Amino acid sequence: MRHIRPYVTGGIALLFAAVVFILPFMFILIQAVKSKSEASRLSFSLPQEWLFWQNLIAVFKARDYQLLLAYFNSTLITVASVSILVILSAMVGYIMQRRRTPWNAVAQIALFMGLMMPPAVVPTIGLLQDLGLFKTIHGMVLIQVAYNLSFSTLLYRSFISTIPRDLDEAALIDGAKPWQIFFRVILPLLKPVTVTNIVVQSIAIFNDFTNPLYYLPGKENVTVQLTLYNFQSMYTSQYNLLFMNILLVTIPPLIVFIFFNRQIVAGMTAGAVKG
Amino acid sequence: MTDLALKQIRKAFGALEVIKGIDLDVRSGEFVVFVGPSGCGKSTLLRMIAGLEEATSGTIEIGGDDVTYAEPSKRGIAMVFQSYALYPHMTVAENIGFGLSLARRPKAEIAAKVQAAAETLQLTHLLDRKPKALSGGQRQRVAIGRAIVRDPKVFLFDEPLSNLDASLRAQMRLEIAELHARLKATMIYVTHDQTEAMTMADKIVVLNGGGIEQVGSPMELYRNPATPFVAGFIGSPKMNLYGGAVAERMGCATYGIRPEHIRLSGEAGTWQGRLRHIERLGADAILYLDVPELGEMIVRAEGETPFAPGATLWASPIDGAEHKFSA
Amino acid sequence: MVQPRPRSQKSPCPLWFFLPAAVIYGVFFLAPTATSFWYSLTRWDLTTAEFIGLENFRQFFSEPFLVQSLVNTLIYAVMTSGLKTVCGLLLAVLLTGNIFARGFLRTVVFFPVLVSTIGIGITFTVMMHPTKGIINVALGALGIAGPGWLTNPSLALFSVALVDLWKGVGLATLIFIAGLAAISTDYYEAARIDGATRFQQFRRITLPLVRPATITVVTLSLIGGLRSFDLIWAMTRGGPGFSSDVVASVIYKQYQAGFYGLSTAGNVILFALIVAIILPLSLWFNRREVAQ
Repeated sequence: MRHIRPYVTGGIALLFAAVVFILPFMFILIQAVKSKSEASRLSFSLPQEWLFWQNLIAVFKARDYQLLLAYFNSTLITVASVSILVILSAMVGYIMQRRRTPWNAVAQIALFMGLMMPPAVVPTIGLLQDLGLFKTIHGMVLIQVAYNLSFSTLLYRSFISTIPRDLDEAALIDGAKPWQIFFRVILPLLKPVTVTNIVVQSIAIFNDFTNPLYYLPGKENVTVQLTLYNFQSMYTSQYNLLFMNILLVTIPPLIVFIFFNRQIVAGMTAGAVKG
Repeated sequence: MTDLALKQIRKAFGALEVIKGIDLDVRSGEFVVFVGPSGCGKSTLLRMIAGLEEATSGTIEIGGDDVTYAEPSKRGIAMVFQSYALYPHMTVAENIGFGLSLARRPKAEIAAKVQAAAETLQLTHLLDRKPKALSGGQRQRVAIGRAIVRDPKVFLFDEPLSNLDASLRAQMRLEIAELHARLKATMIYVTHDQTEAMTMADKIVVLNGGGIEQVGSPMELYRNPATPFVAGFIGSPKMNLYGGAVAERMGCATYGIRPEHIRLSGEAGTWQGRLRHIERLGADAILYLDVPELGEMIVRAEGETPFAPGATLWASPIDGAEHKFSA
Repeated sequence: MVQPRPRSQKSPCPLWFFLPAAVIYGVFFLAPTATSFWYSLTRWDLTTAEFIGLENFRQFFSEPFLVQSLVNTLIYAVMTSGLKTVCGLLLAVLLTGNIFARGFLRTVVFFPVLVSTIGIGITFTVMMHPTKGIINVALGALGIAGPGWLTNPSLALFSVALVDLWKGVGLATLIFIAGLAAISTDYYEAARIDGATRFQQFRRITLPLVRPATITVVTLSLIGGLRSFDLIWAMTRGGPGFSSDVVASVIYKQYQAGFYGLSTAGNVILFALIVAIILPLSLWFNRREVAQ
């Protein structure tokens, strides 16, 4: 009797999970391929016509190919932010871990604030305007770097503690200057964490809605999430296109998840469970 | 090769003095071993010579040049770490050639030097491997190779054999000794293992509590230890040391006699004692005696010594082998 | 002869490594946060600021819809945090047990965490449509009259919280799974020999030893809940009326209306809320840990 218990509970769990967790995604998929009239019925019926490609093209064409521009912008912001984030936070993580200085305590407090505190949006908008960075991609990139620095740095700091100091010293004897030690010895050894960091941050920045909402209004520099949001108000009766848009927005993280499952899991739990 | 001179080297962490005014001269080509118990400062001293720790006061001269404030890479030293400190993400060849590539030497030159070092250490078939694919002894050799390639004036070894198992240690001891003979390089070697010290050194520096207890060749230290500390440190089993009334009678503060310099008899001798325990090691036997006036006495005898625990024995020191210390 | 040059001990890490990050972080995060305290005391239009003292805060604590948002924020945070902690732990226990398709289930539970919040918000809004939404249609098939999930003012916030739970429980589960894995099976085996039931094992061994994970989940989800904006905005825009407004949505609404000072005051209040809740909580957690 004990042998089928795993299967019974597993089966029930599977059923429950399927309904609760998978069903909404199936709904998205079904709605995305229906015709406009069918989709507006909002029911969970199978589509009579399979309009995948037509809906796809219609969504991309909407508002002068805004979605294409949005994908470009989102990707650009994500790539730029993550690249800068990785280098900068690795540097801070390195110095906090390796060098004893009173600045470490200051940095520690500052970083914890970043994990907890909500950014002051309106003053930031004022600042961006003064710097001429409001509504620009550059401004958005700097914002993303600033807002994600805390998590990223703490991730690096805990990992760098596993790199033995002997290596620093050996490199020193070999004649390496500090920046050479960092780039040629330390950074290569941080590869696993860097991959995790890149994956986790990329998904977070790609999915970010609030910050582009505040700091990138207007349609010149629109991002993917903003486009989806705008779409909602624009095409109130075209549910099929709306859901096709949702589907398109869901796919990049899905692909990343499939390929980097392990790293995502590692990143999310890193430092989270301080035993 | 070059000389090394330490003049009044001191190291203090705040109020805590870790190295107390050390003077030392090392001649070109000498193999010098720093030996001492944990915390005596031997590693700190080595790291100061390397430039990884800054001396609080005093000067360090290598080959006549004052390097007290010079960067590690500019002192003409090379160091082999206890953990080898091989760069895990680089191949053996890249590890050995790292310093040269940092100095922007031409690729051909780097390749040639790496090859030469690899040949000296029989690593040529391992050049493309990463450290994790190597055995302990092989990693050791790569670390040494990295040092050789720097063509240093002084080689520094920080307890390099501690991480190896006993049989490998013996083999590596031999290899390092042969390396020294071949390169005729000045080498400073830190260890807590007196076997390594005795077998490899031209000169041993015994350190204790941040200061030098004695400097001398292995046999000098064995024959004429200056202090009870050195006497107890060199030689295994340790020298029997007695203070108190016994020493007073002998006219000194501490009286010492080595286990191997005591003759045992079932009939007569200088001290009478009861055999408490005997360890038979094959060629030797170690006997633990309880001697009323002295306490415990350890004696080394022939392997087939016929005495059994509980027996009453007489122990006599060999003439001229007694040590009388004034401290 | 090398000239002696006294220099401070070379550590392999120069202080300026702090600099680039510090500049960006300071300018774009710390500075605005600092100035927000000043601006919250003004009537502001981004160019001129007129000092009005605590007027903005007085408004926050007197006008009904603003007070409502404060209350809602607390309710939302506590609700989502509590639900995520409990459900996360239960799911984690289930998913670390020996069940069929365990790997697949873990993946399925976690995936919503990675998906666009706006997308989820829109999807569930559609699913929660009072008449045509599939949730109420399904309930109707079982003979239950489904409520107006997002149209009923007293229900709207709760409905969004449920969606928040759906989306976020996967992360809590993940953290708990890691925490459970850290508990040595030796304890359970010893307990079994002592005759403890499964439930007793859970209460006496699992719960106490999974504490680090619990603390993390509670803290992270509380902070997230207090700051929550995306989902609420996507699903209700704070409505119907103001029944599902939270401080974060108020900040946005006041910004849109041009009341920058009031909006910034909202930021300061949110800041204070988080400090007031998280700091004592952390201290309480740590003290209990020391006592243990």
